[in-house]
Amino acid sequence: MTLVTEPTAAVRTRHPLRAESVRGFAPFAGAGILLTLGAMLAGSSARWQGGWAETAAELHTAVLITAPFAAAAGCWQGGRERRRHTEELWGTVVRTPLARFLASALPVVAWVVAGYLVAAAFAMLATWPFARGDRPHLALLPGDAVAVAAAALLGHVVGRVVPTRLAAPLLAMAGYVGLGMASTARSGSGIHLNPAFPVPSASLPVWWQPVAMALWTGGLAVAATLAYAARRRVKALVPLAVAVTAGALLAHTGNGLWHRDPLVHRQVCDTSTTPAVCVNARYAGMLPQVREALSGVTGKLKGVRNLPVRWADRGGAPRAHEAELPTLAPFGWSVVRGRLTSPTEFAWQAVASLQNRDCPFEKQEDPRVQRADDVVAAYLAPSPQQKYFDDLDAQGDASHRAELRERRAAKARFAAMTGDERRAWLSAYFAARGDCDPKGVPSL
Amino acid sequence: MTGLLLYARSRALPAALAALAGTAAFALWAAGRLDTYVDPDRRVPIVALAPLLAAAVIGTTLYTASDELDRTAVRPWWPRRLLQLAALTALAAALLPLAVLGHPEVFGPATVIRNVLGCTGLTAAAAVLLGARLSWLPVFGYVTAVYLGSSGARGRAATVWAWPMQPGAQPGAWAAALVAFSVGAALYAVRGARVEGPRG
Repeated sequence: MTLVTEPTAAVRTRHPLRAESVRGFAPFAGAGILLTLGAMLAGSSARWQGGWAETAAELHTAVLITAPFAAAAGCWQGGRERRRHTEELWGTVVRTPLARFLASALPVVAWVVAGYLVAAAFAMLATWPFARGDRPHLALLPGDAVAVAAAALLGHVVGRVVPTRLAAPLLAMAGYVGLGMASTARSGSGIHLNPAFPVPSASLPVWWQPVAMALWTGGLAVAATLAYAARRRVKALVPLAVAVTAGALLAHTGNGLWHRDPLVHRQVCDTSTTPAVCVNARYAGMLPQVREALSGVTGKLKGVRNLPVRWADRGGAPRAHEAELPTLAPFGWSVVRGRLTSPTEFAWQAVASLQNRDCPFEKQEDPRVQRADDVVAAYLAPSPQQKYFDDLDAQGDASHRAELRERRAAKARFAAMTGDERRAWLSAYFAARGDCDPKGVPSL
Repeated sequence: MTGLLLYARSRALPAALAALAGTAAFALWAAGRLDTYVDPDRRVPIVALAPLLAAAVIGTTLYTASDELDRTAVRPWWPRRLLQLAALTALAAALLPLAVLGHPEVFGPATVIRNVLGCTGLTAAAAVLLGARLSWLPVFGYVTAVYLGSSGARGRAATVWAWPMQPGAQPGAWAAALVAFSVGAALYAVRGARVEGPRG
């Protein structure tokens, strides 16, 4: 007798999550987040591309649209069984309600988070070639990703509970308006519970803020999920307690959650010129461009005394004997993608900063002071708009035309000076900068 | 029950009309809360988001549960589809500007009407490509992305791609919105919303 055994075909069983993940709405939701975030980042690229801190701040701000989008996507997926009329069929399977819930919810959660992270990675890659200092800021990213995941999970619960076609778009709109309104609040301990709380690019979170934010948003979402789908709903109290504890910690700490980036306080300087040229250490790589833009000014100031020691970039608060460097940040104006947009305009602003006097308005309005300022600005770095204003004066009334003649005569007298005379005059001019007496300004 | 009433119920029009009225009321309430009479620029959230919500509401009415049956009808469907879309758009364009009366040079009634046209057109096009029940998704993503991404955008091109956020009567923004509405309405009138099977 021979035994015949038929070869058994290997049965490959794939996890149900795989089918849910690669088909249906979940990949579409991930692509939607990627496209939405990509459109937003592309539109605003001038204000973040080239700055690591600016890129991180923009990605954090994006939670304003990614979280509502994720919630709406989750809500749409949550209503799937109702649309398919398969709720009763699902009720007959042996899996627990929680397992059934997670089988349709987790793929959307994973895809929207993946979409967000891929967009973030693209943004970092786009910044990299134009970065002029600093390093990638990744601290807020984990908390933001969990907030997006939590929104998708909460949306799924809403989709299961609310049986209307408009549930998803209404949830999206409510989320957007709610987060937007919460982000405009400037006071109150609750503002730090907002996952889209606007964070200035010069601020960094304390190390545990992203953890606490993740526990706050994630805990709420898990609590809602368990309360809806767990066999023992009392289990929802555990993540709820975690979320409340994390939320209380965030609210209680308040502004202590953030500290200034230490780099903001540092200056990187080129001391080979007078005044020295300093830029903020966050944009250290901008120094050669700034020095080049100011080279015409510093060349003409060689041998001139009584100048400020340096141009410094301290966010509007220069120290004594310093002049404020024209602002490099926020990006999108004088700096776009790591380049000065108009070196001529930048140099003119830098000269205006050198001329800045901390004097009453009427002292600065004195014709003698104004004429001297005009001559110095025209000599060191003429305003790109000067011809326009001269033309306006030339077409104006008699007083405007007389003033224009005076200015031109003063410039001619200044141009006729020898090099030594000019340096002596400029030294006297800058010496009078700290004195608000117009008579101290040398005449022309 | 007349055919017209049956048609309206089959497209969930009573609920949509109520939702449009609710949207207009919410916009009016928000305008008061935001003190938009002090600074017309504070109207931006209303100008951008109220038409978006109205378009989402209109989009849900483009769904029909009896698509195959509808297609067996003797009469052509495109006049009904076009009339429904145009009537709901006109209603939204008449109601929503009440929240932002005055200041036409910045964010006034004309900008709301423009955004209603543009958002509804995109929603109708999405209904043809994706299905009516999900037609709100692309326009929601686009408008919210432009809302956050267009501040500081300059140049003539920005008036076209950032049309929902443009103040006054920018020709580029109006052209973009009108093209969106024309294309979306034409597509929907000719093709109808995409058939959504039982797996939808």
